[in-house]
Order: sequence, then C-alpha cells, then structure tokens
Amino acid sequence: MRQVARGSSRTRILVRRATPFAAVAAVFAVQALAQAEPVVAFPLYLSIVLLASLQPDRARSFAVAAVAAVAVVIRPLAANRDASEVASSVLLAAVLLGVALAIGELTRHARAAASATERQLDELTASDRRLRAALESAEVGLGLSELDGKLIQVNERMAALLGRARDEVLGDRLVDFASPADRAGLEEGLAMLQNGDVTRWEAEISQSKGDGSTVPVAMFLARLPNTATGEPVVLVQETDITARRRADALLDCVAAVRQIIVNSSGVDSAMPALLSTLCSHLGWTAAQHWALDADGKSMRVRYAWNGSGARADGFLHASRGIALAQESGVVGRAWQAGTVTAEIDLEHAADYPLLAAARAAALLSAVALPVVAGGEVGGVIELVSDVRRTPDDDLVTMLATAGVEIGQFISRAETAQALRRSEADHRTMFERSPIGIARISSGGELLEANPALLQMLEHDVDTMRTSAWPDMLRAYDQAASRSQKAPFLAGITDGSSLQVRAATGAGNWLWLQLTVTSIPDSSGVPEHVLVMIEDVTAVRETSDRLSEALEAQRDANANLEKIDRTKSEFLSIVSHEFRTALTGIQGFSELIRDGGLEADEVRAYGGYIFNDADRVNRLISDMLDLDRMESGRMSMRTSEVDINDVLMEAISRAVPGAVTVEFKSDLDPRLPIVAGDRDRLIQVVSNIVNNAVKYSPEGGTVTLSSRADGRYVLISVTDTGIGIPQDEIGHVFERFRRVRSGAAQSIPGTGLGLTIVKQIVEMHGGRIWVESAVGHGSSFHFTIPLAPESTNALQLRHA
Amino acid sequence: MPETDGAGTTSPPSVLVADDNEVAQRLCKRVLEKAGYPVLIAGDGLQAVDIALHQRPAMILMDVAMPGIDGLEAMRRIKAEIPAMPIVIASAHSMSSDRERFLAAGADNVLSKPFRLADLISMVQSLVDAK
Repeated sequence: MRQVARGSSRTRILVRRATPFAAVAAVFAVQALAQAEPVVAFPLYLSIVLLASLQPDRARSFAVAAVAAVAVVIRPLAANRDASEVASSVLLAAVLLGVALAIGELTRHARAAASATERQLDELTASDRRLRAALESAEVGLGLSELDGKLIQVNERMAALLGRARDEVLGDRLVDFASPADRAGLEEGLAMLQNGDVTRWEAEISQSKGDGSTVPVAMFLARLPNTATGEPVVLVQETDITARRRADALLDCVAAVRQIIVNSSGVDSAMPALLSTLCSHLGWTAAQHWALDADGKSMRVRYAWNGSGARADGFLHASRGIALAQESGVVGRAWQAGTVTAEIDLEHAADYPLLAAARAAALLSAVALPVVAGGEVGGVIELVSDVRRTPDDDLVTMLATAGVEIGQFISRAETAQALRRSEADHRTMFERSPIGIARISSGGELLEANPALLQMLEHDVDTMRTSAWPDMLRAYDQAASRSQKAPFLAGITDGSSLQVRAATGAGNWLWLQLTVTSIPDSSGVPEHVLVMIEDVTAVRETSDRLSEALEAQRDANANLEKIDRTKSEFLSIVSHEFRTALTGIQGFSELIRDGGLEADEVRAYGGYIFNDADRVNRLISDMLDLDRMESGRMSMRTSEVDINDVLMEAISRAVPGAVTVEFKSDLDPRLPIVAGDRDRLIQVVSNIVNNAVKYSPEGGTVTLSSRADGRYVLISVTDTGIGIPQDEIGHVFERFRRVRSGAAQSIPGTGLGLTIVKQIVEMHGGRIWVESAVGHGSSFHFTIPLAPESTNALQLRHA
Repeated sequence: MPETDGAGTTSPPSVLVADDNEVAQRLCKRVLEKAGYPVLIAGDGLQAVDIALHQRPAMILMDVAMPGIDGLEAMRRIKAEIPAMPIVIASAHSMSSDRERFLAAGADNVLSKPFRLADLISMVQSLVDAK
C-alpha cells in the first residue's frame, strides 16, 4: 500500500512538472494548425509562463519560458518571413523569457523573507529555553523584584541561598532576609533605585537562611524597565561569598602575622600578639605556644593567649604545669610529624594530656601547627576552640605557612639576641680589659682603642689616632725588621708578638708588648687587626737589670780572675825586684859582718848596700802611690798651673845620666793656664824626661813642647833614643813592663814610673800616648784640660 | 892547683858569672875570687854564651832575667855545645815552682837570691871539684 501510494505520488509530480510543457505544445499545435500569427497565441504562452514561474522550481519555469519562446519564433524563422516579422516574434520570445526571469526573482525573494522570519522565531524560542535553563542552573542567585524589593521571580539558586522553597520567597521583601545589621543599608539602596538616583547598586551583606544560619553574599541590584506592565522592576543577583570570605580571613591573618613579625622588637613581645592574631582572625578561643626544651626531649608552654572568658584560663593554667612528650596528643603529633595536625573531637581524644582541663573549659576542637625553623620543629602553636571545628585545606596551608614564618622569626630573633649578647660580652671585654686593645684597619689606621690602652699610654683617642699609634706602628716595623719579621701591614701572622719602646702622653717611656691578630671577614680576607698591647716595662727593666747584673757579675769574675792573675804576677815581679835588691844588701852586709875588709872596701860595699836599700824604698813608695791612685785615695792639691813653668822645672830637675843629652824647649808663650796639682805634674814630666834621658845615646836630644789644643794643653817630650819596638808600644804604661820584657834592664828604675805617670794624667782628666820608631826615638804626648776661666779667656781671645 | 889563663896552661878553674846587675856581679866576683876561683863576667845572655863557648869556664853562675836572651835560653845554647858544662841558675825568682822549672830546663843546680855567701862557695866548689 505504502509503495503504491509512493508510486502514485511520483506520478503526480511528473504530471505536474510536465503540464506547462504540454500546455505550450498544445498552444503551438493549435497555432500551427490555425496558421495563426505568434502574436495571436502570445497571451496564451504568457499565461503559461506566468503560471509556471509562480512555482518554486525556477529552472523549470525558465525551461517553460524557453520552450514558449522557441514556439513563438519558430514559424516566422521556418517560413522565411520578412525581417520585421522575425523581429517582432523574437521580441515576443524575449518578453516571455523576461517575464519568467522577473517572476522567478520576485518569487525567490518572497520565499527567502518568509523562511528568515521562520528561522528567527525558532532561534528566539531556543534562546529563551537556553536562557531559562541557564538562569535556573546558574551558580549565581538571580531574581526579579518590584522596586520595593518584593520578589516576583527567583531561580533555584536564589531560593537555595535564601534557604527556602521558591514559593515561600515570592512575595516576600528582599530586606526581610537580610541580617538585621544589613537591613538599613539594603533599604537605602532600594530607595535610591526607586528614586532613579542610581540604576545599579551592589553590596556584600549577610542573609538569614530558613534554618537560622547566615550566609555572606555579594548582592547586585539593577533597575530594569518592564515593557509588559510599564512598571520598572529590579534584577537581583546574589553570590555566595562564604569561601572568599574565609580565604580573605586567612590572607588577612597571614598578613597580620607578618605585620607583627616585621614590627616586633623581640619574641617576648611578638608571641602573645601572634597568638592573639591567630585566634581573632581565625576565630579560635585560645592559643598557646609550646617551646622545645633545651634537651630537645619535651615541650613546655612559653606563651599563651586567652581570647575568651575565664573558662579557658583553667586550661591554659593546667597547660603551663606540664612538660609535653613527643607523640603526646595533638601537639605531640604535630611536633613529631612536623605538619599541621587537628583534633576534631577533643572531648574524646584519649591521648590528649590535658583532657580534663579541656573538658572543664568546654573546649571541643584543637589544631596544632609546628613552628619550624631550618627544617627543625622548635615548637608548636596550639589553637583550641569551644566549637567543633574541622580545619579545611586552606586553613591547614595557612597555618603551616604561619608556622614556618613564626619559626623563622623566632630563629632570627634568637640569633640576633645571641649576637647582641656576644657583642655585649666582647664589648665588655674590650672596655674592661686590663690589657690595652686597639682595633686597626687593614690600611693601618687606628679604628678604636680601649680605655686600658688610653690610660696606659696617657693619650686621648685623637692623639692616640693621629700620633701615638703611627709612632707605635713605625716602632713595630723597626722591631720587626730587627727580628726578621714581616712589617705590620705586609704579613700579619696571628699571635705575632713584638716588644717596642713608646712614649706616653706624659713623656714616660714604656716597653710595650704588641700581640697582633688579624680578623678575617666572611671571605677570609683580613678585615681588620686586633692589637693587644701590654706594658712590659717592669718586666723588661727587671730582666734588663738582671742581665746587666749577670753581665757585671761575669765581668767581675773575669776581673777577679785577671786581678788574681795580675796579683800573682805582680807578687812574682815584686818579690823578684826585692830579692834582687836584697841580694846585694845581704851579700855585702855579710861580707862586712865577717870582717877582714879594707876600709875602702867597707865604704864601697856600704855604698852598694845603701843604693839597693834606696831602690827598695823607692819601690815601696811607688807601689804605695800607685795603690792610692788606683783606689782613688790619692788627693790632689789643685791650683792654677802654668805648664810651661812645669816643663822648665822638670828640665832643671833632670837626673844626669851616664850620657850627655841636649834639652830643647818649644813652648807656646800664650799657653792658657790649667787646673792641676803642680807637684804631680812635675813628677809626670820628670818621669818622662828621665826615661828619655835613660834611653838616649850620647849627644841625643830631648825636646819639650807645649801648645793649646782646643780645651786642652798638649805637652810632648820627644827623644832621639833607641825607640820602642812596635809590639811593646801598647804596653809601656803597664806595671813592671820594663822588667818583664827584660828590655834595657841595665837601666835602673822601678818599672812603675810610666804607670804612675798615666794615672796622674788621667786623674787630671787628660790623656797620654806614645809614638815611637825603633832607632829614631820616642815621643810621649799628654793633655791636661784648661782651667774653666782659661776656656773663657781663650774664647774671648778667639772672638 | 892554680892555672894560668889561656889554653894549654895549668890554671885554677874559672867561674863565669852572668848577671845584668852590677852589684850582684861585684859580690860574686869578690866572694869567688877570695875562694880561689878566677871570675869571668857576662852582662847579658848573649855575652854569657860567647864567653862560655870561647873561654870554657869550669862552671857558670847564671842569672835568669837578663836583657836580650834570658839565662835559660843562654843555658840551652851553651849546653847544646858543651853538654857537660855545669851551670847553676842563680835567680831572684825563688818560688818552688821556679826551682823545678830551672832544673827541668837543664840546670845542674839552683841558687836562690839572696843567698848566703857560704852556700855560693860550697855550690861552686862541689861542681868544680866534681870535674
């Protein structure tokens, strides 16, 4: 049946499509049979084309028009009619085609317009559906109200935000749902919308839900014109901002914590404020900070904050009394795990050490955040609440962050405190040290000197810096170079110690021991130098005195040895001299005693005895003289002496020797006067002169001269005698030198003469020396200082 | 027993006195000549050596402290030529250590100054007669 039906339908379509062509063919057939002019049949053709063009199928209507046009022109063309006929028939054909085209175009436009309208309507319908669905499913609460806030329409979300069924809220005023505190504000907003003062109003308010709880919402109101009634309405939009509020609170809390940390002066002032901030921002009842004991095995409460009434006091007090072990309760678990740990049901937490106190204070929940610094848990902050609370992830994250920040803060503060204490210790040492301490820059400038140093050196800081320290640095470098150490700035070795001499401000000289230690900066480069300065004057002087004493002792020992040696040598020489003299005395006196001598023999022998006895006597006198001089017991009878007079006197007293010598004098007539013992000076010159005579050959010359020589008078006695060998010349003034050397032993003398001469010259403050060449003679020179008046006179004369 | 001066003739044995001290020379000369010994005199060491070697005294009385070479050096030189020459050191160096020193140097005897005249004579006699 259905196939038949379809077949018949197809047939109908074919028939309907073929109809215009059939009509054109029929008209053409009639026209051909009637041999009528195309003009006659034209209205028929035109009718067919018009009808065909009204159909939607434009191609077919053009086909019909084309067939009709062919039908119009075919006869004149086939019958070879004249051009005018052909032209008119072509015109007619064109009219047919034009009509078909025009009608087709018109029809197409009409159809397009109709279908567009239809499509718009469909889209509007769909859009309306989508909009409604969107409104209904929106996370945002949406609704319409009248200008006074009476709700006309609400979506599901809006109803849910209000905590009521949709029907319950319609007709109620928006203000009725606002929490009492926000009502006035909302009324005002609505009034402004109503007056047309504003077209939009927004605020965050609290709304009461049907169950009595409140929810914070962001409310947006917009005044809309209502076309249906002509009355404007208000679009109401509400968003639940509970989560944002909570996040804001957490952020605020973190910010507040940071603020306290930044502004605090120390842990003691900051911790209560931190605990208070955590409680108030996060809505907890009380908080306490458990700090790790020094042994790291238990924690005790160090700080607490009670944000509620007296009930929590008992709990906090109980907490103070205990030492908490690891793993004990929520705090112990937070300590062990190093993570934020919560106790949702404090009443039934069996491991909670303060269970009774918590129950008594009606505390229900607790959260513990570890206070972490350097990866170590140094304490735990415990927050307790009298409402049951389950911390969400945000809170946990926030508390963990706060724990780290507080931990770093405590660590910083403790380090700073330790540094301050250490600094204070060192400062005290610096200020109170009995040892002088100076801090020197790497450039060698004095940065700081402690009171002990300033006192030791009797300087103020300024003179210490500008003069005393640079002087000391120079002294250090000199001492360093002497002991082959590096200069102060070149290479400071730690603990390098040197002693230097330095003057104090008051001009006292001290021995200072400088101990130098360089202080490196963090990169190891010497940043500055500490110099410890000790006054070792007493030590140094004691040791100096000691070594002087030791030296003196050594010298004394050497002297004693020398004296001992000299003494036995002296004894040997003296006894030899005496025995030699006594040999004659004893021998001849024995001869005389035994008798039997001639008178002239006795006389001669008596002469020998007398001479030797005299020699012994002189020897004893000279020895005693010398001893008195050497021991300083010889007194001088000082007076003003004219040396020229002394020289002349000595010449007159010269002992005539075996040979004849000629005396010459070369005296300065303007010779200044000297201060001296005249007799002693005559003794000196006589001695030298007698010596000269003794060693002179027959016809030799002895010349005496005098002249002023600066502050002295220089006297010289020059002979033309045998001279003194070079190896003897340094010893001529030694006692018994003559005897010892065996030189000129035939020439009488005690061997003490020149020794006595030297002593007398030196007692006058003068000097004696000898020049000699063997075979040419000797020159003895000595000086005697001028009398003080003579010095003046001489100066005047020179002036 | 008297000998004549000069070689080959018989003469009493002579004694050389070497001393730089004239008083000592005179004393010895007077005493020894009285005792029968001719005395030769030398004023210093070199002279003593010269006389000893050329005049061959029977013995020598030698002082130590003399100019030029001392008595000990003179004795050494003389003994080197005439080992048998008796030499008595007569010195005012009269400590016991000196005596040992002189004997060790080769002295036949030591006479300390000042001396008893009898000691001088007996010492000379003993050495001269021993020859």
